[in-house]
Amino acid sequence: VNLAVELAGIRFKNPLLAASGTFGYGVEYEDILDLSTIGGIVSKGLYLEPRDGCPTPRIVETPSGLLNAIGLQGIGVSAFVRDVLPRLARHDTRVLVNVCGDTVEEYAEVARIAGDAAGVAGLEINISCPNVKRGGMAFGGDPKMTAEVVSAVRKATRLPVIPKLSPNVADIGLFARVCEDSGADAISCVNTLLGLVVDVEARRPRLGFGTGGLSGPAIRPIAVRMTWQASRAVKVPVIGIGGIGTASDALEFLIAGARAVQIGTANFVDPGVYERILQGLREYLTRHSLTDIAQVVGTLQYPGAPGAAS
Amino acid sequence: VPLVKRELMDGAYALLTFAHPEVARDARPGQFVMIKAGTSPEPPLRRPFSILSTDGADSFTIFLKAVGAGTRALVAMAPGELAPCLGPLGRPFTRPADGGEALMVAGGYGIAPFLMLAGELQRAGGRGRVFYGGRTASDLQLRDAFGPGTPLAAATEDGSLGYKGRVTGALEAYLDSAAPGVASPTLLACGPDPMLHAVARIAEARGLPCQVSLDPWMGCGVGTCLGCVVPIQRSDEPKPKYRCACTEGPVFDARGVVWPGETASAARRGAGAVA
Repeated sequence: VNLAVELAGIRFKNPLLAASGTFGYGVEYEDILDLSTIGGIVSKGLYLEPRDGCPTPRIVETPSGLLNAIGLQGIGVSAFVRDVLPRLARHDTRVLVNVCGDTVEEYAEVARIAGDAAGVAGLEINISCPNVKRGGMAFGGDPKMTAEVVSAVRKATRLPVIPKLSPNVADIGLFARVCEDSGADAISCVNTLLGLVVDVEARRPRLGFGTGGLSGPAIRPIAVRMTWQASRAVKVPVIGIGGIGTASDALEFLIAGARAVQIGTANFVDPGVYERILQGLREYLTRHSLTDIAQVVGTLQYPGAPGAAS
Repeated sequence: VPLVKRELMDGAYALLTFAHPEVARDARPGQFVMIKAGTSPEPPLRRPFSILSTDGADSFTIFLKAVGAGTRALVAMAPGELAPCLGPLGRPFTRPADGGEALMVAGGYGIAPFLMLAGELQRAGGRGRVFYGGRTASDLQLRDAFGPGTPLAAATEDGSLGYKGRVTGALEAYLDSAAPGVASPTLLACGPDPMLHAVARIAEARGLPCQVSLDPWMGCGVGTCLGCVVPIQRSDEPKPKYRCACTEGPVFDARGVVWPGETASAARRGAGAVA
């Protein structure tokens, strides 16, 4: 069976990508698993300069989920290009750079630097981090700013441009269309949901930043719904993200319309997740007499929709 | 990895032994494993545990107290059941190199890394002494686990065993009474944050080297989630830097640790290299 997918002009050997912020810069996992088993790796979010991130505590466990406010601590795009990319080049996988900025100009500059580096297959635009005061969700929650950032990055690079959407909006389809109209080649859907956990003894937020972003199996039904809505709103491919830990989880997103998926929080729980999901996808295709993973994409039989089983 | 042996103890403590040759062979005192009972999404994350002991070939043992969902699920495992496990991880304790006494200060399940360290000290001809504190006698489940070559002082807040009061009180009493040796002792501490902070203060006041094993919430254990960072300021740094407890710790030189509401002692003194 064929698990390879082509998306935004990038060929991935399988539809599983490691989500930004949950896989470091990839090289941290070199000794733990074979990075060549992964379709692609999306880097931790990168600005022009290194970042300190949020005050501690930064993570708290929630029912079937994880609330985090890391705040895009990172080494900066130049250090990534200089120190990390050459190491990643040893592995047969695609590397996407997650582009951040405090300003539209910074997004474009980071995109230009990452886009000029050898070994980068595409750029994911972070307009959805909920844990920074500027950029991130502040841009991705506003259609006008979304258009500005995506257009500016589009002009700064010839690489595929993939905005990562925030789920903290009422109409995800609207933002998907704005991205497509601004030149996006694909859409990542979705980042974390804004949440708050309270320490009732101290009557303070559990996290140092206050609010945080919720991820993990807890958000999966919301993410699947948004992937379904986004994929119906645009022609460019959608990458589904949110609480995937098993082949069945991944298939939910693919059937709902995603061309590929990203694994996030599950990386923390079990780095062996890729091997397990790939095996499960192969078994599913065989069991359904299918030969290509593309045959399941967007096949959701939604009640009342044309072509749905009555 | 499969659980091979489970020993339940009073006070919700337990010893769990897992088959894992790599950890069994390579683990160093103060290193940890990330482990979780089964693959259910609840609770979501693995938990870090200091490695108590290994048989050097096939299996390792952790010592834990069932306090929350993750630890309760682990303690409820039956032999043969599988637990995803990653390790050995992190930087270990460093043995005093100059022949000075290693004073190992433990609070509750913070005793775990010191069994292996005491064994290493014995084999290397070093001197070790354990200060083991808890609320009450049942918190000191491993008080008989150390060999005769490693003196152990118990401390309980309710006075049910050994010194009555905090373990830091027993430590200070010993430091006050001990004859000054040729080489000064090194303090090594593992336990709750307030205890670690108190030990670090004692070390600073007496000019003694001190290593503390920090235990923040961890997500991944391998330095990618950046959830377990702690502010550390080494003497040659102008300001504290967030460092992952999982990869740059969990054992840190106490002089670099920025305790809540304080600056790092390395910054206050502004001299002396911090490892």
